[in-house]
Amino acid sequence: MKNKLGEISLKDKIVKAYISHLLENGYKPNSIFEFCKKMKISEADFYEEFTSFSAIEQQVWKGFFTNALVQAKSEEVYDNYTVREKLLSFYYTWLEILKANRSFILRNFDQIKRPLCLHKNDEFTEFKHVFYDFANELLMEARETREVEQRAIPQIMERYPDIFWAKTMYILEFWVFDSSKSFEKSDTLIEKSVNTVFDLLARSPLDSLLDLGKFIFNNRK
Amino acid sequence: MKSQESIPTSKVARATQFAKAGVKVGTNYIKHYSKRIFDSSLTKEDLHTSNAADVYETLSNLKGSALKVAQMMSMDKSILPRAYSDKFAMAQYSAPPLSAPLVIKTFKKYFNKSPLDIFDKFDLNAQNAASIGQVHLAEKNGRKLAVKIQYPGIAESISSDLKMARPLAVQLLNLNDADIDRYFSEVEYKLIEESDYDLELKRSIEITKACAHIPDLFFPKYYPEYSSNRILTMDWIEGLHLKEFLDTNPSQEIRNKIGQALWDFYDYQMHTLRQVHADPHPGNFLMTADGRLGIIDFGCIKVIPDDYYDNYFALINPDTLNNDAEIKRIFWTLEFILKEDSPKQQVFFTDLFKKMIQLLGRPFDTHVFDFGQNGYVDEIYDFLEKVAKMPELRSANAARGSQHGLYVNRTYFGLYTILNDLKAVVNITKPVWLTPKHLQIKG
Repeated sequence: MKNKLGEISLKDKIVKAYISHLLENGYKPNSIFEFCKKMKISEADFYEEFTSFSAIEQQVWKGFFTNALVQAKSEEVYDNYTVREKLLSFYYTWLEILKANRSFILRNFDQIKRPLCLHKNDEFTEFKHVFYDFANELLMEARETREVEQRAIPQIMERYPDIFWAKTMYILEFWVFDSSKSFEKSDTLIEKSVNTVFDLLARSPLDSLLDLGKFIFNNRK
Repeated sequence: MKSQESIPTSKVARATQFAKAGVKVGTNYIKHYSKRIFDSSLTKEDLHTSNAADVYETLSNLKGSALKVAQMMSMDKSILPRAYSDKFAMAQYSAPPLSAPLVIKTFKKYFNKSPLDIFDKFDLNAQNAASIGQVHLAEKNGRKLAVKIQYPGIAESISSDLKMARPLAVQLLNLNDADIDRYFSEVEYKLIEESDYDLELKRSIEITKACAHIPDLFFPKYYPEYSSNRILTMDWIEGLHLKEFLDTNPSQEIRNKIGQALWDFYDYQMHTLRQVHADPHPGNFLMTADGRLGIIDFGCIKVIPDDYYDNYFALINPDTLNNDAEIKRIFWTLEFILKEDSPKQQVFFTDLFKKMIQLLGRPFDTHVFDFGQNGYVDEIYDFLEKVAKMPELRSANAARGSQHGLYVNRTYFGLYTILNDLKAVVNITKPVWLTPKHLQIKG
């Protein structure tokens, strides 16, 4: 991200330096002191932006997300997409960005707790936060366009963003281990899983059945 | 066209689709026979019609290999009751498309650009679906283009899809194991070849160039600069598919003109190029009101080896059929007769294949042939159906006739079927050595 003057912000500089240190050396910098010295910035400046290396990693994942979303939205047809297509479009762009950073991701992937969709990993905390905003925004739109059925049980409706998140983590994990040519299988997974989730959330025979059941229950003698 | 709401996801889900068809077919039989008790006028044809509708519905929910099987079955009228093949013929025109973001993504992968940036206009909704891809309408510099995009990952799923389609095919086609195996390995081979768009581009350009001189034919121009191994761009061709074309009641003259163009196209490929567009299903031909024929889709090209060519077409010349020694030699070479056969079987099969060849070669025995005459194609159809039911063939485990024969026979049968639907009268152009003596000009 660039600030108003067109300069790269200190935050982004730190992130960049951190990633290249990792890729070149294969391990985290020994200390923040050493890292700052190499970057020629003061420790105080560093702490202004981040409190730890782990916070940088969180920022990296968040960055992948925001970049993907900005790119997906910059496609002129994006606004005319259905919610289903918006999500698809996000995932495809996201994977492209991940592809450009695959070495970074694979480097510490064995330290991440798997399966991703069942564990809470610190790396993704920030990413998760912004993703939920995105998911809620999509779901709100989907309720308006009737792509997602308004169901009477709020406990279920509240869980919808969790489903999206779990799916995202599942796609990430699948992609990491995907060995197909130019990750075609991951593309197929995205296409099919997004369709499946939306089919499950849309109005289904089960909704009608529930509706009927409610009616019969209320009118029992 | 409305985008598909859902694609059956996992292998399990796809398998259930097939199972559904099986159950439905079963139910139709039960329905049929219980109705028959009360109404004896119900025919087998009615049953086939309701079966075909259900099977088609199921297959069209799947893509790729399964759709291809449906297409091939519809082409092989010889082994399918007519009601099935009519219904399956629909598979050649439409199947549900993939999402717009994936289309854009595929373009970005190969051209680093969105299709909306490459072309002046690009319709994100697919116009129609082929077995392994879908076709989009685009415009560039005032030219309408057809852009074919292959479904990602389809090439890898070919064999697993076919394995799932097998039980259904066994149930429907009622073939022996050897034939089914051959049928499926052929479909697999064809599909793998068809999924290679680089090859298709190369062949399309070659063949369209070679056939450019044939009157009343037209081909799309191909654009290598907008093509890759998953994307194929060509001119958008105007014209109607066979069924729609016939609905416009074209005159006999126009029908003949198109029929002649079709015959000449195949004659030239078969005898001069020795490689043929071995997929004469109606979806690949577009017809115009002024009697011209557009040909698309060169995904399946069959090269005919020389020794096969010499033997096979020697048979087509009616003069050869009177020469028993020669026939015997050719039948051995082409594997119509196998060394495991008992003398009785040998006689049986020689007779059978002789009849078949006489039948298929009948147009070659004249200068002008009326394909519209009632009965000729039906006669072939009845004959093949009768053959399919023969216990001698059913019990034979080995597949007969060489692999090439399958393509050539099917190509001719497909050709005859289309000509018959067109009710065209055609000048039978053919190489001199295929012309029987009584037709050759003396002196």
